[in-house]
Amino acid sequence: MSDQENQASRFARDMAANAEKIFKATKLIANTRDEDVSIGTTPKHLVMRRDKVELFHYEPVAEATARTPVLLAYGLIGRYTMADLQPDRSLVRSLLSKGLDLWLIDWGQPGRTERWLTIDDYVDDYIDAAVDRIAQETGHHKITLLGICEGGVFTTCYAALHPQKVKNLVITITPIDFHADIKDKAAHHGFLNIWTRSLDPEDIDKLVDTYGVLPGEFMSSVFSMMTPMRSLAKYNVDLIDVVDDEAKFMNFLRMEKWLADRPHHPGEAAKQWLKDLYQENRLVEGSFVLSGRQVDLKSIAAPVLNIFALDDHIIPPDCSRALGAKIGSKDYTEIPLPGGHVGLFVSSKSQGKLSQSIADWLLACDANPVSEA
Amino acid sequence: MSEKDKPPADGQDPALEWAKLWQTMAESSNRMVEAWSGSMAPFMLARLSEKPAGFGDGNELSAAIERMVQGPRLADVWDIDRKIALAFSAWIEMRPRLASYNAVASAPWTEASKRFLETMSAAGTSETSTPDWREAFAKWSEISNEELIRNQRTDGFLQAQKELLQAGLQLRSRQDDVAETASVMFGLPTRRDFDDVTRQLTELRREVRALARQVRDRKGEGAL
Repeated sequence: MSDQENQASRFARDMAANAEKIFKATKLIANTRDEDVSIGTTPKHLVMRRDKVELFHYEPVAEATARTPVLLAYGLIGRYTMADLQPDRSLVRSLLSKGLDLWLIDWGQPGRTERWLTIDDYVDDYIDAAVDRIAQETGHHKITLLGICEGGVFTTCYAALHPQKVKNLVITITPIDFHADIKDKAAHHGFLNIWTRSLDPEDIDKLVDTYGVLPGEFMSSVFSMMTPMRSLAKYNVDLIDVVDDEAKFMNFLRMEKWLADRPHHPGEAAKQWLKDLYQENRLVEGSFVLSGRQVDLKSIAAPVLNIFALDDHIIPPDCSRALGAKIGSKDYTEIPLPGGHVGLFVSSKSQGKLSQSIADWLLACDANPVSEA
Repeated sequence: MSEKDKPPADGQDPALEWAKLWQTMAESSNRMVEAWSGSMAPFMLARLSEKPAGFGDGNELSAAIERMVQGPRLADVWDIDRKIALAFSAWIEMRPRLASYNAVASAPWTEASKRFLETMSAAGTSETSTPDWREAFAKWSEISNEELIRNQRTDGFLQAQKELLQAGLQLRSRQDDVAETASVMFGLPTRRDFDDVTRQLTELRREVRALARQVRDRKGEGAL
């Protein structure tokens, strides 16, 4: 048999095997119910509800190590379940197993009803109310804030506006300098920054005024554009790779469930996010105003831990790194970790490092008696 | 108790009431269609038959509709008529924007295919064995990804997607205007009504919470 014939027969054999796997994947998907794919399952109980926003307290799973309560705040683009995707890949479980007292603020599913909510409301009302409630429940006057992505911006603003209530600030994959992507030479980094700057401010107004929100599906399509081939190969080649391994197949479905659960971003808050921050870069310029007060990063007096992903295509590392030079606190730690924006939380390798870095830092802070005033 | 608050009289059949309501709605709907076909439609259909492929041709048609409907409003001409025409005009406007975007967005595939064929040809002539489908796909994916991402960052792509977004939003906004007018005709609350209510609710909540904070702070000061 000639080389050409060998190749042809190998190709035919591979394609037949692939067709069989696609068929198997189709059957598996058809036989799996949505309720079989669980995310965000770590036990917690509801402590407070304010409009659609809920404050939860996670059940402890280990003896307490750090004393200060930690409030986890995710952003409004996507949901907190990324930090609790599955038991063996969960930042939440990991932190609980290290003895932290963990609380969660869940923004729920904003819709057109939340059109008029601004970042002012999220920072000065919802987060503030949650912090007060945790203080009331635990007797601590100051708490630790742990912000993720846009939630990191909210907690950073809160730490600047209410320094008397924040003992430590931990932010992960958080944009601070929204124009620092310009320095990043990696071609696949920062498309979101470039795309937002390419729009006129009136386009953003019109988008929000037309839909009443920044639609979740719209943001999903922008994110898909950032990894074009990955998005195209997801339901064919990626499925072929996982179909013979039930654990991997379920991981795939959990990730899909998280991606599909993308809420709408409240309208007026989206205008601030895209125009004031992405386009005008007001946070680092010192002209971002919430509830009539300028957010002065120099007012952040608490110790700060800033963790970012070195291959983050959504928030380029330099956008996060910028915080160090802007804050008033002298106690600033920066931990760059390998991985991407989502991989930092869901990949089995990096999220172990992430939770260990946070827990070690918080334990060290708690051992320092100076900061609880 | 007002007349409308009174419970239905005995023997008043809710199904009959519903049928009457439905009939009224159907009649309104028919009137809407009549108004539409009695004015704009013949003009548009005539223009369409003159230039079946020329909708996007300089957008002459949409410009003509815009000029027509932007004119003075006449008391006895239905407003919905004008709004449907505007939505139609926005749809016509969007077509060339979509075509431009598709042209710009599909351009990198040609370069990706060229590069991929060169890579595979080079692999075929080398001493190493010919890549299997997985290796070939990985290479194809890597090359295409590079080309697509490179393209996305060009001014041409960004401009095309911005114009498509603007045209899409204009269409959506004009469709909403039609829906709003129809809602008013049927006595239903509109999206704007809903936005007004939620705005008032949000502002009221802010005021109440600010007052609650003031009261709490004063109590706190008093306790000191």
